[in-house]
Amino acid sequence: MEEYIISLEDLKKLADNLIKEGTDLFLPSPDNSRFVRLKKADELKLAPEARPSDISAKQAAFPKCDPVLFYKRDKSTVELKDAEPSANQVLFGLKPCDAAAFGIMNKVFNWDYKDNFFNKRLENTLVIGLACTYSDDYCFCTSVGLSPVSETGSDIFLVRLSDAQFAARAVTDKGIQFVKKYSQLFAKGDSSKSKPALESIKGPARKFDSKKVKDWLDKNFETDFFNPVGDTCLGCGQCAFVCPTCHCFDIVDEDYSYSEGRRMKNWDACQFSLFTLHASGHNPRDNQAKRYRQRVNHKFKYYIDRFKEILCTGCGRCSRGCPVTIDIGSIVTKIGNLT
Amino acid sequence: MENIYKPYLMEIKEIIDETVDTRTLRLQFRSEEDKKRFSFKAGQFAEYSVFGEGECTFCIASPPTRMDFIECSFKQVGKVTNALRRLNVGDTIGFRGPYGNWFPVEEMKGKNIVFIAGGIGLAPVRSVILNVLDRRKEFKDITIIYGARSVGDLVYKRELREWQGMSDVRTVVTVDPGGETPDWKGEIGFVPTIVEKAAPKSDNAVSIICGPPIMIKFTLPVMMKLGFKEENIITTLENRMKCGLGKCGRCNIGNIYVCKDGPVFSYSQLKVLPQEY
Repeated sequence: MEEYIISLEDLKKLADNLIKEGTDLFLPSPDNSRFVRLKKADELKLAPEARPSDISAKQAAFPKCDPVLFYKRDKSTVELKDAEPSANQVLFGLKPCDAAAFGIMNKVFNWDYKDNFFNKRLENTLVIGLACTYSDDYCFCTSVGLSPVSETGSDIFLVRLSDAQFAARAVTDKGIQFVKKYSQLFAKGDSSKSKPALESIKGPARKFDSKKVKDWLDKNFETDFFNPVGDTCLGCGQCAFVCPTCHCFDIVDEDYSYSEGRRMKNWDACQFSLFTLHASGHNPRDNQAKRYRQRVNHKFKYYIDRFKEILCTGCGRCSRGCPVTIDIGSIVTKIGNLT
Repeated sequence: MENIYKPYLMEIKEIIDETVDTRTLRLQFRSEEDKKRFSFKAGQFAEYSVFGEGECTFCIASPPTRMDFIECSFKQVGKVTNALRRLNVGDTIGFRGPYGNWFPVEEMKGKNIVFIAGGIGLAPVRSVILNVLDRRKEFKDITIIYGARSVGDLVYKRELREWQGMSDVRTVVTVDPGGETPDWKGEIGFVPTIVEKAAPKSDNAVSIICGPPIMIKFTLPVMMKLGFKEENIITTLENRMKCGLGKCGRCNIGNIYVCKDGPVFSYSQLKVLPQEY
């Protein structure tokens, strides 16, 4: 793999060029709550030691509210206009647990019918990943097939060598083309530079065997294991909204005048009590324990059955943000120990 | 860019009130091109929408052998079905589909067929019944057993009469005890009881059962007693859906997407699914 060296100054120059060209740059906000647009290049900061932003980067390809078509009613006729997702964006400094999520979601959005809203955005997004030196009690990327240094999902992968210098690896064709385009900013390097930096990254302490978790879930659908967490869970759905891989959505019409409106794809969450409620009043998941069972099964069993991927990158956001301190990592660790 | 969420536009050609709260719409594609391109199989479903109100999921109630109209029947229960009821002949609705799998009509050729339906569960079954009747020679004995809570709740009354008048179809119509009127000439009793009484033969037979879960639950043991094989009892599941495309993530039962792997399932398939429907 091609490896380069780029200074923070040159990264800022790169950002400046991109902004001037009209590319949207996104990176974690200074308070690390969400991804925000970078307006001035000299505000660019890359912080491998920061915790994952409270809200993941998934909006880049799967926005919270996404118009899919516009309609106009006139007496008894209706006129439809397609919504065209426009994206020309670079995501800066994504944690490996954020970058990997796009490829995981890509499976469900393309396994049969193709969701081109997701596809077109992803196509027009360049992901610049960043080796992560943060870890806390909630992180568990190494238990779900990733690591703080995995390049999965990144087009270009940065490793901090010093405060002012980064190693840059061109991971995908898109990344290689990008580096070529701005070659004056990238100096040739080699892996001897990044190797010691990568080796010094320890990764999270928490470890569980995701295969054992799946083995247990395969055999234990009817279980009272989820009753205690069902009693605790408020069903607020924050876990799904901050998650980089949760992709459930609702389809909703929004009128913005008497005759016009748009049809939206809006985020939804399996923890909401109305999520599966039938028109008849029947609800297949009629209590929170069943809804939590769905969440764990979808991530650690169903998605693997269907798409051969764990629907989780171990970022720990759902646990860090949970208002009643439910920690999915400790729950699946417990499950892993049951077999 | 191909947009999988974009519906066809359809015009309401005719409105038929089935019961006090159940209505059938006869729909026609606004565009000739869409009409030519469109095809479906009995048992498939679609997302119907009123622009400004949203989408809802019903089966296609008409058969693929009658393509002049697409028909859907719905009960007035929520936001979109209420909005659908406010529409008039000539109005436009959105239609996305067809989605999901279908009844194995081709595999049913040369077999005896037993249709069992309760309430509005007759809608998906009607699509197959009419499909089979339009190709009558390809199938052997046909039995239709249909029940509703009361005489007023029977849907497709004109067709029930038609089927009852056919010499090569056995049609049994029943209402729940207490749901009869003084001039009611049909059976009185719950569907499982009437199925047992009618005792359709299970040799070389396939059965299609649709209706409320409670009806299906009590009809299945009767079918087993009559000797039907689990793989020859076919039903549909009606989980809540939004996209119909295997993406939005709410219709799943275990790792099965009802919208893609269903809605048609055999009893032998159902038996191994987790109890989450």
